[in-house]
Amino acid sequence: MQHAITAPLKVEQVNLPGSTLGISTKAMLIGLVTIGAGFLLDLMAGPKGLYHFAHAYLLGYFFCLTIALGALIFVCLQRLTKAGWSVVVRRLAEIVAGTMPALAILAIPVLVFMHQLYPWTHEELVANDAILLGKSAYLNTPFFLVRVAIYFAVWIFISRSMLSLSVRQDDSGDLALTHKAERLSAPAIILFALTITFAGFDLLMSLDPHWFSTIYGVYVFAGSMIGFLSVAILGVKFLQSRGVLRDVVTVEHFHDLGKLLFGFTMFWGYIAFSQFLLIWYANIPEETIWYEHRMSHGWGWVSLALLFGHFVLPWCGLLSRQVKRAEKGLVFWAAWQLVMHLVDMYWLVMPALNLAHGQEGGPGYAPAVHSGFPLHVLDALCVLGFVALFVGLILRSMRGVSLVPLKDPRLGEARAFHNF
Amino acid sequence: MATITAGAATLDNTGDDPRVRAPLIVGNNDYTTITDRVCAVVEDPKVRKAWLIAFLTAVSLTGMLFALVGYLIVTGVGVWGNQIPVAWGWPIVNFVFWVGIGHAGTLISAILYLFRQNWRTSINRFAEAMTIFAVVCAGLFPGIHVGRAWLAYWLFPIPNQMLMWPQFRSPLLWDVFAVGTYASVSTVFWYMGMIPDLATIRDRAKHPVRRFVYGLLAVGWRGSARHWHRYERAYLLMAALATPLVLSVHTIVSFDFAVSQLPGWHTTIFPPYFVAGAIFSGFAMVVTLAIPARAYFGMKDIITMRHLENMNKIILATGMMVGYAYAMEFFIAWYGGNEFEQFAFINRATGPYAWAYWIMVSCNVISPQLFWFKKLRTSIPVMFVLAIFVNIGMWFERFVITISTLNRDFLPSSWGYFRPTLVDICMLIGSFGLFFTLFLLFLRFLPMIAMAEVKSILPRPAAHPGNDHSSSSHTSPSHSELH
Repeated sequence: MQHAITAPLKVEQVNLPGSTLGISTKAMLIGLVTIGAGFLLDLMAGPKGLYHFAHAYLLGYFFCLTIALGALIFVCLQRLTKAGWSVVVRRLAEIVAGTMPALAILAIPVLVFMHQLYPWTHEELVANDAILLGKSAYLNTPFFLVRVAIYFAVWIFISRSMLSLSVRQDDSGDLALTHKAERLSAPAIILFALTITFAGFDLLMSLDPHWFSTIYGVYVFAGSMIGFLSVAILGVKFLQSRGVLRDVVTVEHFHDLGKLLFGFTMFWGYIAFSQFLLIWYANIPEETIWYEHRMSHGWGWVSLALLFGHFVLPWCGLLSRQVKRAEKGLVFWAAWQLVMHLVDMYWLVMPALNLAHGQEGGPGYAPAVHSGFPLHVLDALCVLGFVALFVGLILRSMRGVSLVPLKDPRLGEARAFHNF
Repeated sequence: MATITAGAATLDNTGDDPRVRAPLIVGNNDYTTITDRVCAVVEDPKVRKAWLIAFLTAVSLTGMLFALVGYLIVTGVGVWGNQIPVAWGWPIVNFVFWVGIGHAGTLISAILYLFRQNWRTSINRFAEAMTIFAVVCAGLFPGIHVGRAWLAYWLFPIPNQMLMWPQFRSPLLWDVFAVGTYASVSTVFWYMGMIPDLATIRDRAKHPVRRFVYGLLAVGWRGSARHWHRYERAYLLMAALATPLVLSVHTIVSFDFAVSQLPGWHTTIFPPYFVAGAIFSGFAMVVTLAIPARAYFGMKDIITMRHLENMNKIILATGMMVGYAYAMEFFIAWYGGNEFEQFAFINRATGPYAWAYWIMVSCNVISPQLFWFKKLRTSIPVMFVLAIFVNIGMWFERFVITISTLNRDFLPSSWGYFRPTLVDICMLIGSFGLFFTLFLLFLRFLPMIAMAEVKSILPRPAAHPGNDHSSSSHTSPSHSELH
């Protein structure tokens, strides 16, 4: 309802300076070297180490993938709802989602290490297990590879289309591009919902191939949104420290991002609790086993850390309007939630390591070998490596691209946006 | 009322030029016309014939409902079709159906408020009213389903000499709290939002009794800046409190089913799936009611085509969420490898109640797909029919979940075919009577549109009253720039 701000933007508000762009190659190199070091380290640890590396790689990889997926759905939702306020942060989301082709390449090691990750790839195991045999029409290597290829084809198509439609408008100002993006967003969301769900089933849920939960896709989605919104808040702050987006993204937009982060924190808590309560209450062994792995042998502490660290504390922290509008307050909780999102991914992936170890020996589906809490330097190497690599990828994509959708028809509305 | 006869061109605000926000109120409306027209419905000294006929019909059906409740209490629950193993028959289906309907109002007034969806202002009042009446209908069924309705108060944890307590671990008890809290908060929210409008009616009232009654309801509202300030603060806080409540109610209703170990009921997606379904059915009911109401009371330029189109989009979106949940249930039933679970789902789609299952799928998943086309989602006949389809489909969804699951239990010797009795059917019809009785009374005696809120999205009065620009656009770039 406010009057649009149409004052021209300065170059330094729009384009990242070359000095910052220069970091990107270094960051990517550091990332690759760190992950490579992890790989060498685990080669020295023998065949058992390979299992740990595969899981640590999946952890770091999925952490970044969820952030990119969160960015992708964020872009689609803003387009679908024809949102005004978010135009000033939308380009960042488009760029983060635009890293999807690189993420597709980075998925290859996950496929290479399938045998270490997914017990259902062990043929002799499947042959002796009625449940896995029943699922083998779905859980088999060729079909798995086809599905992963489809997911990435869909994600690359949507994210690159969204980025390109938006960037093309920077020059032409053509309103038809806005309409095109809006029209694409609706089917894109449907494809997104299906692909993120089945990607969650395939890449994470099938780590424990006996276990199943219908809400799992929604859980992955909730986490992805928290991951991306945290990155958006931290990312804009970082860019502003370099002069970009200054006076374009204001405290009002941060307030809105904070509200969304708060909302999705609650949504994540709701979904996590729904899954837990229903499984705990019905107490069916084939379902409770998944929580059993996550509530014993030291894992109970991680579960509690998620309950309080990913839901209760940030919920209380982000409740206040003052905190969401305070520079330090919002950055603190965004960083906190990003770390907790990593813990969440750790909690999803790593308990499967014990299960994978269990499948090494005999032909039958064995229970997990509990070797306690498997925290290892490999986890840190893979996660840090992926963070550096991902940051480098994002910065590299900012080269030559304006960080504000310059001729978006709703830019004036977004710049003038005020919470009342 | 001249604006109603204005040409169709001026009433169409469904365009989507990204440079301007389309006006939400069309026609030549300003603060005065909004007040006059909304109050006129309440102030009309004559009872209009169509309203009276509808009201008398609804009252008769309500009478039938209460007569049947009396018959039930005197005779026993055997008058229903409930038959072990189908211990939860139509009463529970009706309960879940009505609770679901009761989700749109507070969603519109709370969640859409938090998302700054200004278009909600034209529809929130009567959607909230609808919510409360739907919850009233919902509340009736568990109360009589307990069998000894005179002991229904045992649902509440009241200290007593017998040391009888409800089962705190049962979601059925959580329902009592969830629905009870929701009903009370929704009522307070609805009433609080209505206070400025009630004061408007009070101020315009000519008859002293009328002035007294509406004055009492307006609780001393004077419209001072301080009043408004507190009102806005309270509204925001109520919205923030009501939002998790909206989600909690149907979540807990879904727990009634999902905490069990029954194949077809026990699945983790139930909570968000039920909530999406509730919003879906609630919006369908709002559309069903809005179409005749806006036509009959001449509110087409306040509840505009854009409002209806937006609601249809929400119906399309939530319909697909429901479809997603159906698909996940089916996929995981297969993937989970549990043969009982697989049987439950195959039985749903191909068993004795396959007809109900396919009614559900056609009405909830397939028919809303027509809303992809702008032409269809802005066509009154199409959306009216589709909204009714959704209402039917969502009733059948609860029927499928409850009955097709229960009628095939683990003991094949007890497998039968559930049939409703005449009492079942008449009670469902009677509950619509109760709902419409309350709703028609609301339309007649309370402001059906939130006048104060609608005014907040109208352009500020221009320097020259009656200026044409004032009503054409409320966003920054002047509407005339486009032409």
